[in-house]
Amino acid sequence: MNRVARILLAGVSAFGMSFPVLSQDIVQSDSVWYTDADAKLQAMIATQPNTGKAKNVILFVADGQGVGTNYAVRLFAGQLEGKLGEEHVLPYEEYPYTALIKTYNINAQTPDSAPTAGAMNSGVKQVFNTINLSEDGRHDNCASEEGNKVTLFSEIVSESGKSVGVVSTARATHATPAAVYAKTANRNWEATAPEGCTDIAIQAIEAMEAGTLDVLLGGGARNFVPTGVKTVHDGDSSRKDDLDLVARAEAAGAHFVSDLAGLEAAEAGAPMLGLFTNSDMSYETERPETEPSVADMTVAAIKAMEGNEDGFYLMVEGGRVDHANHAGNANRAFMDGVAFAEAVARADEMTNDEDTLIIVTADHEHAIAFNGYCGRGTPITGLCMGVNSDGVEHTGEPMLADDGKPYSVVGYLNGAGSVLTEQADGSYFGTRPTVTQEEALDVDYLQQALIPMGGETHSGEDVASWAKGPWAHLLSGTQEQNYIFHVMNHAVSAE
Amino acid sequence: MRRRHFIAAAATSVLAAPALIRAASSAELVRMRELYNADGSFSDFAMANDGKAVQLEGFMAPPLKAESAFFVLTKIPMSVCPFCDSAADWPRDIVSIYARDIISVTPFNVPIAVGGTLRLGDYTDQELGFVSRVRVTEAEHWRV
Repeated sequence: MNRVARILLAGVSAFGMSFPVLSQDIVQSDSVWYTDADAKLQAMIATQPNTGKAKNVILFVADGQGVGTNYAVRLFAGQLEGKLGEEHVLPYEEYPYTALIKTYNINAQTPDSAPTAGAMNSGVKQVFNTINLSEDGRHDNCASEEGNKVTLFSEIVSESGKSVGVVSTARATHATPAAVYAKTANRNWEATAPEGCTDIAIQAIEAMEAGTLDVLLGGGARNFVPTGVKTVHDGDSSRKDDLDLVARAEAAGAHFVSDLAGLEAAEAGAPMLGLFTNSDMSYETERPETEPSVADMTVAAIKAMEGNEDGFYLMVEGGRVDHANHAGNANRAFMDGVAFAEAVARADEMTNDEDTLIIVTADHEHAIAFNGYCGRGTPITGLCMGVNSDGVEHTGEPMLADDGKPYSVVGYLNGAGSVLTEQADGSYFGTRPTVTQEEALDVDYLQQALIPMGGETHSGEDVASWAKGPWAHLLSGTQEQNYIFHVMNHAVSAE
Repeated sequence: MRRRHFIAAAATSVLAAPALIRAASSAELVRMRELYNADGSFSDFAMANDGKAVQLEGFMAPPLKAESAFFVLTKIPMSVCPFCDSAADWPRDIVSIYARDIISVTPFNVPIAVGGTLRLGDYTDQELGFVSRVRVTEAEHWRV
């Protein structure tokens, strides 16, 4: 005890005495780098943990946006604003508490989006390709659901009177949104399931009927209309039964919307089902004006639930960062990451740090990597430009590899962009194509990859979490993904 | 040595065919996104070239069946052939290609060009049931 006290005192005195002395002696103390960092230090010193009770919890999940992809989104967002990029700060990167999150599944080093989202919503790690079953659940085994369904955060907070909302730019029945309300042995049972099991679309509507899901906004209208019936977007049903799940949601009191105008006109405070496309929603790069952005949906979901004096739990997924990474197409991935960041910023503006816990994270990373040595301000989707030894911004001259060819900053370890292509004899062979800056910056460009695969894969690398609000300080260090549930659950139940 | 000569000769003849096609057509090589406006409607370029010779850049999705004259041209490499059962679902990033002859299959991620006649409007393939909004017919393709 004495030793601890001495160390503490020493720390206080060192801080108290050294600052004015050091500032006089340190020649670089007038540098903007120095003063900016010192201002940040003062802000961090002033940060006090919030140990109040969380009325609201918002969990933002950028699907497939681990630490590496997030780094690229940061630069891409900054460069869109005309900055060099590296210095940019995404809205949630301002939050005071950050942790690294371990994303593996019970039986998979490389995770998929179903058990990872399930872990965040239930407090336990789960089995690859399953959602919200205990460790005894078996993928694709309907019988293994029996007795192995876990309790969800949405069910816990509904019990205490909170509203529950889900927003996703993927299908509303896709793995990440499904993890808020569904329990299944196979994430692909979105519109059909084997005898004895219930598909995810039905589970969504059952949750709305039970009052454990109040707002559901996303794509995937095909999964909610009877077989043989067209969706409101003129798409064919994916169902094999006569269930009209939209009608059931409406009968349960939900307002149905299918475009941006309908979403914006929706009555505040009412339950809502919004299905804006037949399958996944559009990439932000080519989203039609009539289709809401992830920020539009986030704002609408909060408006629908903020009147509940008991608060709400909202999960928002940027679902297509993942899809574009799978395609090996960095440009679309990063643009969807920018749209996701905008959604976080809007939610932050509409809520109060005193009573709202906001967590921003990802479910997993991808096999994305970054080349060097690129100069400052190198466009993150373009070619790696040389470091300017006589200035700040890059030289504008692409760096060349040993093969004499330029290379993009971003690369993928595997995927459709592989430089190895199938030959007439079935073998794989190749050489790196010569790429111009114009080609690399094109929205449709696939960054070069190594291992040939139809779709690029996830990776098991860590993701980050950024948090603010009640008990956000518990999200620091290196944590298991299922720990996120425990922080949320503690925050809403703290006295 | 003889084998090398053979390969060189084969390569020359493969290259000669597209050169002829290119010479025969004054059409410029365009990306398929130039066929559409932002709202998904056909662009002025597409409307102006309906029924005319065009050359499109893209990738060959793995053919639906072997020994076929039909394939799907994709905007970015797609390892499985996009399945469309309704014109309303028709994504903007694919074009149906009806070749003059049985096609030589190109790996899904190798860039190609297709030359032929642009055809706009909904059409259901009698044999495959594949619905398309845009086709290039009497087509030939080559690597770029």
